[in-house]
Amino acid sequence: MADELDLLRRANPVPVDGPHFGDGPLDHHAERQLDRLLGQRTSRRPRLYWGLAATGVVAALVSALLFTGQTTAPAVAAPRPLVVRADSTPVPLETLAERARAADGSAELRKGTHVRTWSLGMSDDKPPITYPEERIVRWNADDSHTETVDDGHDRTTRTYPPSWSDAPPQSPPPHDVPRLRAYLQEAAYSKTPLDTGELLDAVDYVLDTWQLGARESAALAQLLADADGLKPVGQVTDRLGRRGQAYVYEQSATRKMLIMDPATGAVLGLETTFTKAEPEYGVKAGDVMDYSAWTR
Amino acid sequence: MSNDDDFAAAYREHYWAVSRYVARRLDGRPSEVEEVVAEVFTVAWRRRADLPPAPLPWLYGVARNCLANAVRGHGRRRRLVDRLGNDDTAHGRHIEAGPDAETPGAWVHDALARLSPADQEVLRLTAWEELGIEEVAVVLGCGRRAASMRLHRARRRLRAEIDRMRPTTTAALKENGHG
Repeated sequence: MADELDLLRRANPVPVDGPHFGDGPLDHHAERQLDRLLGQRTSRRPRLYWGLAATGVVAALVSALLFTGQTTAPAVAAPRPLVVRADSTPVPLETLAERARAADGSAELRKGTHVRTWSLGMSDDKPPITYPEERIVRWNADDSHTETVDDGHDRTTRTYPPSWSDAPPQSPPPHDVPRLRAYLQEAAYSKTPLDTGELLDAVDYVLDTWQLGARESAALAQLLADADGLKPVGQVTDRLGRRGQAYVYEQSATRKMLIMDPATGAVLGLETTFTKAEPEYGVKAGDVMDYSAWTR
Repeated sequence: MSNDDDFAAAYREHYWAVSRYVARRLDGRPSEVEEVVAEVFTVAWRRRADLPPAPLPWLYGVARNCLANAVRGHGRRRRLVDRLGNDDTAHGRHIEAGPDAETPGAWVHDALARLSPADQEVLRLTAWEELGIEEVAVVLGCGRRAASMRLHRARRRLRAEIDRMRPTTTAALKENGHG
C-alpha cells in the first residue's frame, strides 16, 4: 500500500498544475495590489533602537541559561518514566484547586516560558532516541520576543518581531474557569469542547507562551478538577527534583501524567508515556514519548 | 536590493504559491482566497524588514497566522470560519469536479479531518506544500527537531486512521490507481 504521505499528496485539493492558482505572471488584481503596497513606502522602523534592545535581552538570557545547570548531551538514553511514591496519598484535584484558590500566591501572569523537554525521536529503521531541549522565551516591551533554544548541542537565540495575533495563545489567559475553558478551546483551534486529552495538549501549548500567575493556575486547577478521567495517583519527584502531585489520563495507546505543585496548583510538568509497544518504531510499553517541565 | 525590492520580488515569485496555500485551507473558493492572500501580503509588507532570504516558508507562516486570526471571527471572518468549521464542506466533498478530481480525495481528507488541527497542518505542509522539515519548522515557528517529531507523530496517526478505513481505502486505490 502507498505511503500515507503519498496518499495525501494525491489528495491535494489545489495542485500546482491544477486549474486554479497555477504559477505564472500575476493577474490584474495581484498587480494592482502590489502597486498599492509599493505606493505606501513610508517611514522605516527604527531598526537600530530595536537591535540594541534585543542585544540586552540576549545577554540576560544567555546568563539565565548558564545558571540552569548542566547541559545535556544532544541525544540521551531514554529517561525512565516518573515513579509515583508508593506510600503517598493521592490528592484529589478538587482539593488541589481549593488549596490553589486559598494560597496567597504572589506569582504574576507573565508572557514567556522556560521549559525543558525530552522528546522521543522515532524512525522506521533506527532505535528511538530521546532529544532534550531547553527553551526560554522572553517577551519584550515592544511585543517582540526572543527565544533561546539549547539542545545540548547548539544554542540558538532569535528575536521575533511583534506578533500580529491577538488570539489565544497570544492573548493573556483569563483567570475564571468558563473563560479559561473557552480560551483553551480557541488556543487548540477546536470547534468543539475539548476532551481531557485535548485539554492537556492545550495546556501544553499555552504554557509554551505564558507563565501563569497564581489566579490563572487556580482557575486551571479547577478546570482540570472538572475534567473527566484525570485521576490522582500520588506524589512524584519530577526530573528537576521537584515534588508534585501526579494526575493520570489514559488514552488508547498512551498515558498522560500531569504534575502539579501540591500547594499552588501550578502545572510543573506533563509526561506522555506509551502504554502499548510499537515494534515498528522500536518503542516499548512504558517508554516516555515526551516530557515537558516548566519553571518560572 | 532594498527591503522594498526584496518584497516585490518575493511577491511576484510566491504570489501563486501563497494563493494555493490559502486555497487548500479554504476549500478553493476563489473570492475569499484573494481576500485572505491580500491580507497576507499586507502583513508581509509591514514586516518586510524581516523578510528572510528564503521567503516562502516565512510567507506561509504569515498566511497561517492570518487564517488563525480568522478563527476569532467577526463579520466577514465569522462567515469564513463557519465554512472552515463545516467538516462536510471543508474536507473533500467540494473538490472541484474534473478529470483529476476523483483522486483519493474524499476518504484521505476524511482520515486527515480526524486528526488534530496541529497534526493536519504539519501533514499538509509536507504533502501539499512539499516543504522540507527545516521549512516546516519556519512555518510553525518551532525548532527543526520539534517539527520532525510533530511530523513523525502526525504521520503515525494518519496511518492509523487510514488503516481503520482500509476496506474503503483498498477499493478506492484500485479505482483510482495512480501506481
